[in-house]
Amino acid sequence: MVNHVSPAPRATAVRDDHGSRFHLVDLDLHRDNVGVTSSSATGYGAFNVWGNSLPAEELPSGRAIQVEDVPFTFPATGGGRPDNVRCAGQHITVEPGQYDWLYLLTAAERRVEDEIAFHYADGAVDFEPLRVSDFWAAPAVFGETSAFTTLTMHYPYHVQANVSAMVWCQRVPLVRGAALAAMRLPRNPAVHIFAATFVLRKGHHR
Amino acid sequence: MTGVQQAPTDRVIQHWYRDHVSCLQSTLASLLIREGEDPLGALGLSWEFRHLPGDVRPEEFYWPCARDGDLVGSLLPYHRAGSVWRTAPDTDPLVALETALAGNRLPIVAVDNYHLPFRPAYQDVHSAHLIIVYGIDRVAGEVLVSDAMPPAYHGPLAIADLLRSWTSVNPREQEAFFSGVHIDGRWLDVTLGTPFPPLTPARLGEAMAANLARFDSDGPDRAGLRGLAEFGTELVAAARNGDRATVEEAYPFGWGMQAQAALHGELLRDRGVQWRNPVLAEAGRRVEQVAHAWTPVRVCAAYGRADPRAWAGDLAHRTARLRRAHEEALAAIEQAMATLNDGSGEIG
Repeated sequence: MVNHVSPAPRATAVRDDHGSRFHLVDLDLHRDNVGVTSSSATGYGAFNVWGNSLPAEELPSGRAIQVEDVPFTFPATGGGRPDNVRCAGQHITVEPGQYDWLYLLTAAERRVEDEIAFHYADGAVDFEPLRVSDFWAAPAVFGETSAFTTLTMHYPYHVQANVSAMVWCQRVPLVRGAALAAMRLPRNPAVHIFAATFVLRKGHHR
Repeated sequence: MTGVQQAPTDRVIQHWYRDHVSCLQSTLASLLIREGEDPLGALGLSWEFRHLPGDVRPEEFYWPCARDGDLVGSLLPYHRAGSVWRTAPDTDPLVALETALAGNRLPIVAVDNYHLPFRPAYQDVHSAHLIIVYGIDRVAGEVLVSDAMPPAYHGPLAIADLLRSWTSVNPREQEAFFSGVHIDGRWLDVTLGTPFPPLTPARLGEAMAANLARFDSDGPDRAGLRGLAEFGTELVAAARNGDRATVEEAYPFGWGMQAQAALHGELLRDRGVQWRNPVLAEAGRRVEQVAHAWTPVRVCAAYGRADPRAWAGDLAHRTARLRRAHEEALAAIEQAMATLNDGSGEIG
């Protein structure tokens, strides 16, 4: 059985400026799903088809954090407003640059294997694998790092102890040595993205 | 009967769980472990596609039975296992379970989670589920139950709670996918036919060949690759026609298919590593990709029940990818079978 609840999240607050190695993607215009709720208003939750949601009391809200030495901006949560992007083919322009990795704070409603389409400035398009483990008391089957493992799960009408919700830190490779212009998320409503950060290729700066 | 009735060896029932399985696989796994068998080796040996139109029920443990009425025999076709659904008598229903326990058989009991204090759905939503009852103490007014699904529980349950749950009408809930079918005091009487033969490369190869034959089948059932294509076509047509009921059905139906693919894939990958056979391990990973391809089919169907036409395009895309995942996995299995022919399973 699954039993891997850790009381302290593995994400930490960002303490310093990471210079130009990272591009934190602004997802605010694309957030369309309430995945995190406060314990007093769990009915807003819509992370999965059952109306489960992650507990705001156990997650950061509207601030910079760091996971796996990568900075992210975790969205404001718990107010009943959309806090994540439910993947529906969104086209997201990015600051031009040659990137090695896309790091994501993400979770899925059951295991997902899909693709992100990377669109390059020279017209090239690459599909790269997106693999995300289940958010509901599940192990990291794709080798992700657990960014957050909560002690509780929110249900529409109650807070459930001893069922963890997971937020994974997963990365997607960008193998092409070319300037990226945009990415398009898969049309897959099982995948939710809370934050996204590109890591620049060595020797490249914004 | 009065007093304590408990199968003699069962102080605690061992749990076994994977994030893709339902209570159907987890309860059977506990029974297999009790008999000294490897649950993955048994539950992961068979892999098929079978869809029985008109048969799908909104229950977590629904499975399309190739053997009519024999759930366990259908799930474990390469073993001498079998099962019969029984219905407890209205007067003193516990007698049925006591009789099973006295015969050293662990009954798997259908319940409505709404009445079970250890389930997240307690007093929240009605949903059909399975648990194991491994002891009955009428004096204390308790039964001993085991449930491996998170948050996982084994221990006492008030007889009154069990009876409410076991006899619930499980009323239809708009937000629940496993409600609307009466529980009706059902319990599954399982015969495993253990001990099983050891899972050698030759036996695994035979099972893989039989699985392939079933996927190639052109029989009357909606089964195999042809059945999968028909299922996808029907699902997309239902969405385009605004047929909410058919679209919704894909969610409970897909759970069983997804769980079996995940377990078969894990078994092939596990044995591939154990037998130092990378081709087998890779075939397992391809089958796991089939399981993962079920996720968006099920989730699109679940959301699509509210507005089927809006989700028809996504369902078309997702069922097409599911078919391609099957084709890739079956091709990988064919390659892996050739490596099992020498009996050792090892490569190089």
